[in-house]
Amino acid sequence: MEAGYQIPRAALLWVLSAVTLVILPQIINLPAWLLLIALTCVVWRLLIFSGRLSYPGKLTRIVAVLFTLGVSVYQMRSLGIGLESAASLLTLGFVFKLIEMRYQRDIYVVLSLCFVMSMVAFLYSQSAVMTIYVSLCVTVIVGAMIAVNRSGQEASRKPTLRIATKIALQALPLTIVLFLLFPRIAPLWAVPVPTSGGTTGVTDEMSPGDLSQLGRSNELAFRVQFEDSPPPLHAELYWRGLVLEEFDGETWSRSRSRSSYGIASQLADFQWQWQDRITVQGEPLVYNVILEPTQQPWLYGLHLAEPETDNLFQSRNFEVFNSGLVSTRTSYDMRSFPNNQTDLILLDSARRRALQLPEQGNQRAKTFATELRAAENSEREYVYAVLAFFQQNPFFYTLNPALLSQDRVDDFLFNTQEGFCEHYASAFTFLMRAADIPARVVVGYHGAKYNRYEDFMMVYQYNAHAWSEVWLDGEGWVRVDPTGAVSPERIEQGVEAALADDPAFMEESLLAAVGLGGFNWINTLRLRLEAVEYEWNRRVVNYNEEQQFELFDELFGEIDDEKLISLLVLLAGAVVIGIGLTVIRRDGIQSRDSITQVYLKISGELARIGLPRLPGEGPLVYRDRVVSLRPDLDSAMNELTKLYVHLNYAQPRITAQTEKAYLKTMRARLRELRAALRRNDSYLSE
Amino acid sequence: MSMRSINLSEKSAAAAPIVGNRHSQQVARAVSEISKALLGKEHQIKLSLCCLFSGGHLLIEDLPGMGKTTLSYALARALGLEFNRIQFTSDLLPADILGISIFDQNTAQFTFHPGPIFSQLILADEINRTTPKTQSALLEAMEERQVTIEGETRALPEPFFVIATQNPVTLAGTYPLPESQLDRFLMRLRLGYPDQRAERELLEMNTERDKLMEVQQCLTIAEISEFRQQSAEVTASSSLLDYVQRLVNYTRSGEGFHYGLSPRGSLALMRASKTWALMCGRTHVVPEDVQTILPFVVEHRLRAVADEDGHTSASLVQRLLNEVDVLT
Repeated sequence: MEAGYQIPRAALLWVLSAVTLVILPQIINLPAWLLLIALTCVVWRLLIFSGRLSYPGKLTRIVAVLFTLGVSVYQMRSLGIGLESAASLLTLGFVFKLIEMRYQRDIYVVLSLCFVMSMVAFLYSQSAVMTIYVSLCVTVIVGAMIAVNRSGQEASRKPTLRIATKIALQALPLTIVLFLLFPRIAPLWAVPVPTSGGTTGVTDEMSPGDLSQLGRSNELAFRVQFEDSPPPLHAELYWRGLVLEEFDGETWSRSRSRSSYGIASQLADFQWQWQDRITVQGEPLVYNVILEPTQQPWLYGLHLAEPETDNLFQSRNFEVFNSGLVSTRTSYDMRSFPNNQTDLILLDSARRRALQLPEQGNQRAKTFATELRAAENSEREYVYAVLAFFQQNPFFYTLNPALLSQDRVDDFLFNTQEGFCEHYASAFTFLMRAADIPARVVVGYHGAKYNRYEDFMMVYQYNAHAWSEVWLDGEGWVRVDPTGAVSPERIEQGVEAALADDPAFMEESLLAAVGLGGFNWINTLRLRLEAVEYEWNRRVVNYNEEQQFELFDELFGEIDDEKLISLLVLLAGAVVIGIGLTVIRRDGIQSRDSITQVYLKISGELARIGLPRLPGEGPLVYRDRVVSLRPDLDSAMNELTKLYVHLNYAQPRITAQTEKAYLKTMRARLRELRAALRRNDSYLSE
Repeated sequence: MSMRSINLSEKSAAAAPIVGNRHSQQVARAVSEISKALLGKEHQIKLSLCCLFSGGHLLIEDLPGMGKTTLSYALARALGLEFNRIQFTSDLLPADILGISIFDQNTAQFTFHPGPIFSQLILADEINRTTPKTQSALLEAMEERQVTIEGETRALPEPFFVIATQNPVTLAGTYPLPESQLDRFLMRLRLGYPDQRAERELLEMNTERDKLMEVQQCLTIAEISEFRQQSAEVTASSSLLDYVQRLVNYTRSGEGFHYGLSPRGSLALMRASKTWALMCGRTHVVPEDVQTILPFVVEHRLRAVADEDGHTSASLVQRLLNEVDVLT
């Protein structure tokens, strides 16, 4: 036991800041009680240091271990073996170790755990900001390792932070090279996905209030980048998600049951009738979408999107599906035709689905629809009349509508008259079907925020939207957005403009909470940051085997596994040799100038006969010592020393020419010395 | 390792070549003159000349009766310097050294009566026996080379050279010089016991004082100031400066040193090395010059971590010389 070891004050502060830094990013993911324990442990540790508390006794430690065991068993039973339970187990052990950190080796354990903990942060987020933050953590942990091994006096001479930064920066090039070149082996295990987040985004059911819930969130839904062409106008940015055709009086839902999506996506491949059902005009828009994980299978795109990426499927309503749930950030390419007509001839089965209404309820709306249809000449005019109805009555666009009673459509249309887009889409579609016009609800997103720094668009959850599609004879399915009639700015300028005064809008956002959302520079900063994150995602996080081989092809031409392995071996060799040389250099064999190099060879020669130069010996003292022991070397040593002293000390600096001339003489004398040595040695040995 | 513990300072003094020229001859003559009075102490005499030629002050630390006073007298005689001796006691006041203004009844004016400090060579005997106030009066004069009395600044004679002595053994009732004031002395010497031969010669003499009379002046003040000027022109090559910097850095970062050498200390080291090289008749400094004078220049400016009274740094300085590589 190293009794009496006291962790240096500076070192303890370094360790505690490292611990705090690595726990910080997990604050949102960790339960509150765990944070409380972590805080207690840090404070306890500080109190131990100031002498106000002692190290935990045996009993306390046993209790802590039992508690940890209990918690992990409980968590595994309630949450399953997953990321949360593992992370909280790790954190718990980590912070408990802090209070019994007594000797140097305990600190090393804590610091090693710090490295692990900082990597855990990547399981939750792999953004550029997080990477920079983790680099900072690593620097601080390295700083703590340095601080533990230094006395206060040494630390005052050269700041610990500077050394730590230097070490971290030295590691950077190697990190980059390894990142680029290390084989991307398929993971041996899958990282369990955080389950607490659950599904996000638009769902395949729409009840009043669903989308307005999304309107409160400023989380990113997806990013879009248009290739070659300028993006369409804001009013045209309808990101189509799902088509909801079934209505039960309250909720719109998709025809197929949720469980059958896997098969549905297989069966939904209607390529064979693609040409028959659509007519297109003009050039398609080509764009790339990076979708944040939704835990749902469907994807988003502009209307009549044709997926360019493999393994995507289209359903009969021209929805696009992934082949599995979107559980990681997913990138796909799309091709859309803005000018299109679909289903000019509507099949009976489809017509039936698009006209279905519940028998009971909402009688007033049905009557209203029938009367209004009778007053109009054509279906199109009826559509206009309904939109005019929304426009002329005091309908109000809000995130916080009044609650609706039994007959929801009736109550909304004739009573409360306030709602979010899903209310309008729902009521409008209802009125269409009631007048025998095929209609359906489409959910997705509308609008986007353009990031001019990187030329891409961002679609947030608050962009969630619902609208209708109406089938008109000779025109096919036509998109009608009743929200536009109520709140035109929602469509033309975006949801931010329409809801700027609504306190519920984006209320989950921190910025909005402190009232900073309105500042221009903060928005600029956010756009910049988003731009960086976009690039980061595209180039770093999505760097996979395919891209790696592309890079290799670019760098080294055609490449195979054999070449790759030899390249890696070469690289490792270079690193090892580099480190080796640095270590050897530090031993001081190498010297600055060639004169001294030659002179050192004398010492090397004489070392063989047991007369090496001692470090503190000047050339003259050394000469005297050698000559006193080996008088036979007198003349050679004298000459060499004289030359060396003259060259090295008599002139403030010498020209390269003189140096060269003198060096030549010195080398000649050195050869003489060697010869003399050999001659005499052989003589002596005989 | 026994090989490592050789005394490099002495070896270096022997190894560095002495080139016969005017300077080295002058030095040899002065040393031999002074040796008439102080037997067997040629190296110390040469070192004190080096200190004087560098324009620095000398601190001699030794037991009573080792020849401190004799060295000072002999130096003054050989160099033809005006000499004053001040015996420091606990009741000595600054005015006793610097001088005092006295009211003259006849002229009805204050006239200044200069103190013993107005002299070219001062022997400040047992400087640690007086109060810090008086000590600092002397040390200020040493540094400024002028004294200010009653608001009037008076220049001290040129050259101005102080040899202070202190007894390191009996510390009762003394006021040891603080580090900041020790730093003002360019060198600290110890005379040490004479060797057998010198002691015998000493014993065969009738009286010690007679010997002093034999010391003849062999250098003029002009020649002394010439030494000073020319030592500034001695070459110190970049390799040598590298070595000096390595030495200085070792004291600042090496283990065992309580604190490192100050810039004033490293400047003093360079100045004394150059003078030493000049005294050996050379126009360039070799590492051996630095090694020769280093213990005397830096020992009193350094302190070992474990050392409390300032007297055990000698081994530390030996380690410094042994461990710092001369070449790389």
